[in-house]
Amino acid sequence: MWSAAYGLVALAVVAFVVLYAAAHAPSFAAVNLADQAYDAKKWLAQHLPSVFKVYERERFHGHTNVAWVQRVWATAYDYRRREWVQFPVLLPLGYRLERARGDVIYQIHLEASCRYVALPRGGPVVLYEVELMHSLDQLPWLSVYAAVPRNLTQYYNWLYSLYRALRYRPPTVGLDPRVGADVDAGLVEWTKVEWALVYDAASGTAKLYAAAPPSALYIVVEDYPLAIPLACPPR
Amino acid sequence: MIAFRDILIFAGLAAFAAAVIASLFPAGEVVTPVPACSDCAFKLTGGYWIRQYGNYASLYLGTREAARYGWAYRADGRPLSIGESVTCGTAMYLWVMNGVAYVSCDGSPPKFGRDVLGTAPLPIRMYFDSDDLRCSFSIRFEGDLARSETVSVYVYDEEGQLVTSATGRVPGSVSFSLPKSGVFRVHIYAPPSLDEWRTAVARVRVDHLLNAEVFASNNTDRLPYTSLKIFDLTDYWKKGYRSVTVYVNPAGQSFTLSAPAEYFADFLLAWEECRECSQRDDALYVDEVWRVTITQTAGIYTHISSQGSYRHLVYADRIIWDWPWGPWMYEHYVLHSYYIPATMCSLSPYNHDPYDCDELGEVDFARECHWG
Repeated sequence: MWSAAYGLVALAVVAFVVLYAAAHAPSFAAVNLADQAYDAKKWLAQHLPSVFKVYERERFHGHTNVAWVQRVWATAYDYRRREWVQFPVLLPLGYRLERARGDVIYQIHLEASCRYVALPRGGPVVLYEVELMHSLDQLPWLSVYAAVPRNLTQYYNWLYSLYRALRYRPPTVGLDPRVGADVDAGLVEWTKVEWALVYDAASGTAKLYAAAPPSALYIVVEDYPLAIPLACPPR
Repeated sequence: MIAFRDILIFAGLAAFAAAVIASLFPAGEVVTPVPACSDCAFKLTGGYWIRQYGNYASLYLGTREAARYGWAYRADGRPLSIGESVTCGTAMYLWVMNGVAYVSCDGSPPKFGRDVLGTAPLPIRMYFDSDDLRCSFSIRFEGDLARSETVSVYVYDEEGQLVTSATGRVPGSVSFSLPKSGVFRVHIYAPPSLDEWRTAVARVRVDHLLNAEVFASNNTDRLPYTSLKIFDLTDYWKKGYRSVTVYVNPAGQSFTLSAPAEYFADFLLAWEECRECSQRDDALYVDEVWRVTITQTAGIYTHISSQGSYRHLVYADRIIWDWPWGPWMYEHYVLHSYYIPATMCSLSPYNHDPYDCDELGEVDFARECHWG
């Protein structure tokens, strides 16, 4: 009887020691920031074509998850009406995107302007000057492509069919129906271009310079897997 | 012979001795050291604290250094200054990323990424409207967008089940109606630009109670100042019951109702014609029993039972029941309104003025649908 009681007391002491040690052992879990950033960018890439698009630059600067576009007129041949038609298309000039995933806040601000320059080694290029602000300091997966059309008339005819399929809402160059659809249709070719990222300490922004061939319709700034098409503002 | 209990006693004494010896150290030496890793999160219990030095930060357990990191930050991103240290009460949460430590005492995780966009309003304006008559809700979108965009609206009930969904355009509007009462979460979704949650409330307000009380379950009490008991059955039908038996009086009399085909809310009204005359009688609240089923557009009055010694009058927007012989006898009465009144009263056999009722029991149901 007494020894059974001692046994119970001993069991209680053992249980206390084991529980105390278990409660005070450090517990840890792996955190994968790269995966979280990838997930955030993948989500943005999936929903990029449906981002709200605004005309005014002030309005663009006041919001998140918006794209700044400008409307231009493109010309295509309407085979039904048997005549050349003009239809509106949108050129994407800037983006402000945000997505928080786990511990990572992914934000990117892009705003394009461009000018024609001559390279020191000769030959004209369109120099895209993209204002870039980014929430994560490193961009290890950044690459820049230029989208060069194989046949410009064919490209605008395709856009015109898209314009009619969208029930006469203007399509966005490079974005509609999704990023890279015109590459898959064989209408444009993405070629890697030279680029440089210049940090301006005075304004806290970085400038991304990309030298695209003059025939390029737009450039694609890719922070893998998020590919963002940017066009030249019309003059 | 060595018995099992002797082994237990020995093990217990050994552990006790170990615990006593361990407690003599400044901090628990029995705990395992912090595993050295990068990109992981720790929960540390015990006397851990962290101190920032000129070119590194040290994690201490008591006086013993457990780990070293490049720099220590608080979870909100503020770095510790040199010489500063952080101690937590019960537990310390530590995130280690690329050799840099983030400390939090309440477990709130650090956020990685500077805010370069700032907090910003939505690129569109939303106007919310609702209608009590059909319990419909609408959202009007306005915005200076370059082209119209599609917006989806999903409505979830209290259980998180999808009730209804609708799509609309910006600029434009979306509307939906709710067939049942409840509190609903409305998700207005157009990724990535629009991701908003709102609350829509659809309910029946029970108002202007006169000698009446509302119950959500059985009530068999004799209530001194109550001649009308109202039983709210809506939650039972929403939970999926096929039928419900409501006990109404001390005698244990009950009414069994089956689930209505269509309902917004459902009530059983049990009325007693006389408060004073049946002191010794336990069969109360069965003199006039009605069911009021409120649907999306109407209130349906259904007669269930009548008995007693007085003449009964039941009013909706007019007299719908004159027991025992008429002239108004509607077993079913449908009132197309968002406002559903119900009044029951008794007349003595010598009283022929229907506006001179005794023992009134009165309630007004009002369907209310509004944004929360």
